[in-house]
Amino acid sequence: MRNIAILAWTGWQENLRRRFYLVSLAFAGVFLYMSLILGVLAVEQETRVLFDFGLGFIELMGLAGALYGATTVVLREMETKTVYLVLSRPVGRGEYLVGRFVGLMLSVLCSMALMAAFHLVILKAKGWQGPEPYLACFCGAFLKVLVTASLAMFLAIFSSSVLTAGVISGVIWTLGHFLPEIRFLITHGASRPLLAPLHLLSWVVPDLQLLNLRDRAASLSGPEAGWAWLLCYAALYCAVWLSSAWVLLRRKEF
Amino acid sequence: MPASLEFRKVTKTYISSHLGRTRSSRGIVDLEWEVPEGESFGLLGLNGSGKTTTFKLALGLLRPTSGEVRILGRAPADAVAMAEVGFLPELPYFYPFLTPRESLRFYGRLSGLPERELPERIARTLSAVGLSEHGDRRLGEFSKGMVQRVGLAQAVLHDPRLIVLDEPVSGLDPLAIREFRELLGVLRGRGKTLVVSSHSISELEKLCDRVGILKDGRLARVIAQKEWEAAPEGLEGLFVESVR
Repeated sequence: MRNIAILAWTGWQENLRRRFYLVSLAFAGVFLYMSLILGVLAVEQETRVLFDFGLGFIELMGLAGALYGATTVVLREMETKTVYLVLSRPVGRGEYLVGRFVGLMLSVLCSMALMAAFHLVILKAKGWQGPEPYLACFCGAFLKVLVTASLAMFLAIFSSSVLTAGVISGVIWTLGHFLPEIRFLITHGASRPLLAPLHLLSWVVPDLQLLNLRDRAASLSGPEAGWAWLLCYAALYCAVWLSSAWVLLRRKEF
Repeated sequence: MPASLEFRKVTKTYISSHLGRTRSSRGIVDLEWEVPEGESFGLLGLNGSGKTTTFKLALGLLRPTSGEVRILGRAPADAVAMAEVGFLPELPYFYPFLTPRESLRFYGRLSGLPERELPERIARTLSAVGLSEHGDRRLGEFSKGMVQRVGLAQAVLHDPRLIVLDEPVSGLDPLAIREFRELLGVLRGRGKTLVVSSHSISELEKLCDRVGILKDGRLARVIAQKEWEAAPEGLEGLFVESVR
């Protein structure tokens, strides 16, 4: 546990100092500010549009950062041999993997939180007072990014290709929003040859719609399924993919 | 004297496959090698002779195809053994946004050093490798030689029993090489086991008790200090004779 904390802290510290990180935050700030134009176009629904657009944008920025980090962090350290200096110490490969993942997700959480703080300032300036539960929607968005990043990390180690892992993770993130439709197809009339792949998808793809609280924000005081269930779902999904990544990493030679 | 490093009939074959075609290449073959505790052992060999493979096998970064490797009496990558090992890879690379002080703190903590000891140890080690004045600059701004110094610092920071150095003087200027040698001499005097690979024969001559010559993945010859001192052309002559 100590090694995981050390690796996570250093990863977080390292990420926060990257110029790319600061530039992407500045870009997000400018973009969120520019969204005021969209709000004006929406006339009476101004705060609603600002709310939706801002949270959606924050989620996409978080996802982009998490996918980039999850697909490159281990591969880059293998390529530059930085990993030698860590694994030639009393550090297990599982600890290394989880430490790096936690460090990355802490950086992503920080950037999303900073964007959200700026977004809230804009919303408040425009007189937004709810009823949408901002914190719940933000947490749902972060959990979506978290589960997708765990899958991306597994895919990166499995395929040893940043591009392949990034593209597949992006596709799965998209499919994750259509899981209810996939389940519907399974029970209502998908042709027999399609059933097996649809069943496979329904098991592999995370149910991101479950975590997509923003879409139901206006009628929501919290997730219908309950926070405990959502957190367990996300934790279990991450555990499955990180364990699979660990199995692969244990077999890797450097 | 117990062995710090033991290789028993170790063979490593690299297997790669591409589009269904499998290719294998030899890393090391039937390596029988032992380094007793407190000895300073050098590994010499041409490019591709298996020096780095040998080190990676010792540290658990590679797994042997056959045979057995023991490091400080334990299996490679064993946590207890690895806490007592310091490793400097060839051309080390560090997190560029961290400073040497932060990097050493990171590696020291991973090696299990207690927090209260870290500031003093880091200051001492930075001073030993001549980086006291650069401890708070980002590593991304460092020259190759300075990075190499940080590499040595992280390898000795936790006062390990066994220090494994892969090409430690590559990229260093003559003054830095001399300082390196002095530091390694101090460690030797304190009973540390040193295993060093280098293309610099003169450095190994000055530093080692014995030198092993690797040729095509096999340990062609082990030469003791007395032998090369008695040879007319020194270690260089014996090396050329062995690899030809």
